[in-house]
Amino acid sequence: MTLDISFSLNGAEVVVGVRPHQRLLDVLRRTLGMTGTKEGCGEGECGACTVLVDGRVVNACLYPALEIEGRSVTTIEGLLGADHQLSPLQESLVARGAIQCGFCSPGVILSAHALLDRNPNPSDAEIRDALVGNLCRCTGYVQIVEAVQEAADRLGSESDV
Amino acid sequence: MKTLAYHRPKSLDEVFDLMASSEDAAYIAGGTDLLVSGGASPPTLISLRSVPELMGVDETRIGAATPVADVARHPGLAASHPVLVAAARRLGSEQIRNVATVGGNLCRAAPCADLAPPLLVLEARAEIVGRGGTREVPIDEFFAGPGETVLAPGEVLAAVRLDPPRTGAQGRFLKKGRVRMDLAIASVALLVEAEGGRCRRIRIAAGSVAPTPLRLQPVEALLEGAELTDEILEEAAALAAATVRPITDVRSTESYRRRIVGVYVKRGVAQALAGGEA
Repeated sequence: MTLDISFSLNGAEVVVGVRPHQRLLDVLRRTLGMTGTKEGCGEGECGACTVLVDGRVVNACLYPALEIEGRSVTTIEGLLGADHQLSPLQESLVARGAIQCGFCSPGVILSAHALLDRNPNPSDAEIRDALVGNLCRCTGYVQIVEAVQEAADRLGSESDV
Repeated sequence: MKTLAYHRPKSLDEVFDLMASSEDAAYIAGGTDLLVSGGASPPTLISLRSVPELMGVDETRIGAATPVADVARHPGLAASHPVLVAAARRLGSEQIRNVATVGGNLCRAAPCADLAPPLLVLEARAEIVGRGGTREVPIDEFFAGPGETVLAPGEVLAAVRLDPPRTGAQGRFLKKGRVRMDLAIASVALLVEAEGGRCRRIRIAAGSVAPTPLRLQPVEALLEGAELTDEILEEAAALAAATVRPITDVRSTESYRRRIVGVYVKRGVAQALAGGEA
């Protein structure tokens, strides 16, 4: 049994056929070919599949696809600017060496993005807390935390102007 | 077994109709536990995410479908029942808290459910609805065993009800996990009312140390009315360690869990007396 559902994906309305057992992750990667969202553990531990639903981070591997109807989903592809420009947060991560193999990066970026949206001036502890659900096996996290802090500083000073 | 049908009822009546008409259905809320179990998902799922009667959160009633994050970030609850908010902040990761529900955390009835110890010390009540109407059960009587509650087949936990905060009560939630987002190896919640170093009233509960989340009444009885000296806190720690019934499993050992519960009772009381954040 396939049901057609509609939702907003990175600002565009999409209609997809979804089966009852499918996860949001399956719909994004297989049905829609949006492979920026990664599958790691498949059980909500690693955060590689992190996406935003109505502005909040969720694990797409634990999100029943049918529940997405009428909601707004942002994946890593949705952060890319019109001229393929990286966001200030992404630029900071690149500059600080916070991206190595890159598998965790889409999830890390979306978690940090959601944090800065609700708390533009986070402490180190708040950054670490927001990233608890994103495992990185390369960087050791220090560069990631520094990069998010730097992005917060840059975004803060830009909005002050 | 794959799920063959996924229903999203928009009212409790619809929920009960669907449950009555299906032999193999199970309820699903946030799904952060249910969907982890891999291949064994029930053939029919009835989602409780879009049922208005289960929504809404304030200082007296928390709808069962409320995401844990909405408790963790609720300014009113942070002021009225900080021990519950502290536990909500320690549950899983931000991704999990945004989806996992208060009702799901309780109805899965895991011994490690992070919201259970604070709700036990707050003496919250479970508002349960079924075809026949609504009943209230003290949280202390809600858990029947690992993965088991007093919910009758088809019944739904609608909300958790909270009494107004008690004047002068200081709450604490302490949790031991291997890493920050882990399930608890052991956890302790406590709520102390003390005056001039003497304990007037105390409620203590522990998680991950018995088949269900557990009130530690013998420890409460020892401390109530007593001067909270280092000696009596040592005694309370030993009694807490002796009162719990932990097991050895993949996360920890029986002896470590006994020890950490004792340490957390002692530490929690000391921190509560010192004041500050839960």
